[in-house]
Amino acid sequence: MSITIAVDARHITAIATEVFAAMIDRETGLLTPWPGGPMTVADPLHAWVDLCTVPASRLQLTTDAVTAADLTRAFLTLGEAEPVTEADVVDAFGELANVLGGSIKALLPEHVAHTLPEVSRQSPSDAGAVRLNEARLAWRGRPLVISLWRI
Amino acid sequence: MRALVVDDSRTMRRIVADILGDLGFDTSQAGNGREALDMLEAGQTFDVACIDWNMPVMDGLEFIAAVRAQHEWSGLTLIMVTTEGERDQVVRALAAGAHEYLMKPFTPDALASKLGLLGLLPVEESL
Repeated sequence: MSITIAVDARHITAIATEVFAAMIDRETGLLTPWPGGPMTVADPLHAWVDLCTVPASRLQLTTDAVTAADLTRAFLTLGEAEPVTEADVVDAFGELANVLGGSIKALLPEHVAHTLPEVSRQSPSDAGAVRLNEARLAWRGRPLVISLWRI
Repeated sequence: MRALVVDDSRTMRRIVADILGDLGFDTSQAGNGREALDMLEAGQTFDVACIDWNMPVMDGLEFIAAVRAQHEWSGLTLIMVTTEGERDQVVRALAAGAHEYLMKPFTPDALASKLGLLGLLPVEESL
């Protein structure tokens, strides 16, 4: 049986806005659509979960490593000067992908499982993966991309 | 009141534990259902456990079933805190023995509200 995903960039943006307001920023307005123009993610860090749809799909979150560390501080309600370890960033960034993936999954007509999150400086490489949609966002003015793939 | 937070994400454990701490709970943490079960089997007692669903080793649903199979732990209130938001999944968790269900993302107020509904907070804290 085919369980395909039909989620557009507006859905992704709406879900991300809710997740960030509830769990990252504790206020609204800090995650906005990218204002336009070129988006460059230097030193990228990727987090993703795979959704067991048919065909399988993937929710991927990408930002630069410095922004990922700041996201981690915000998630953990740490001050700007407080250090975070690489393990902290991997865990927090992965959990953010997990929550976003779970929220996307909730839009599907029936239950599908999703994998535990993975985090890497390398984008996951799947031959034949097709990007279905992406939301280009700005978190506190810095680039953040949430993309949905068929894998 | 003593609370156990069961989640494979250190981030989520810390966030939930901080919220519970602010509400006056003395909190402990476990990284999966097996670790949590080990703590109970070792004699540690808790009033409430907040449990993630998707975890390695032993997931939240298996943990809930294991707790419900032991009469001596019948006083432990179980709240599933998870990304699994589909209606069928909620029904599965409640049927397995969870008392309440909270979907991620959630706010501190949402968790406090669930605890209030379960009578685990002073009235003024649950409003």
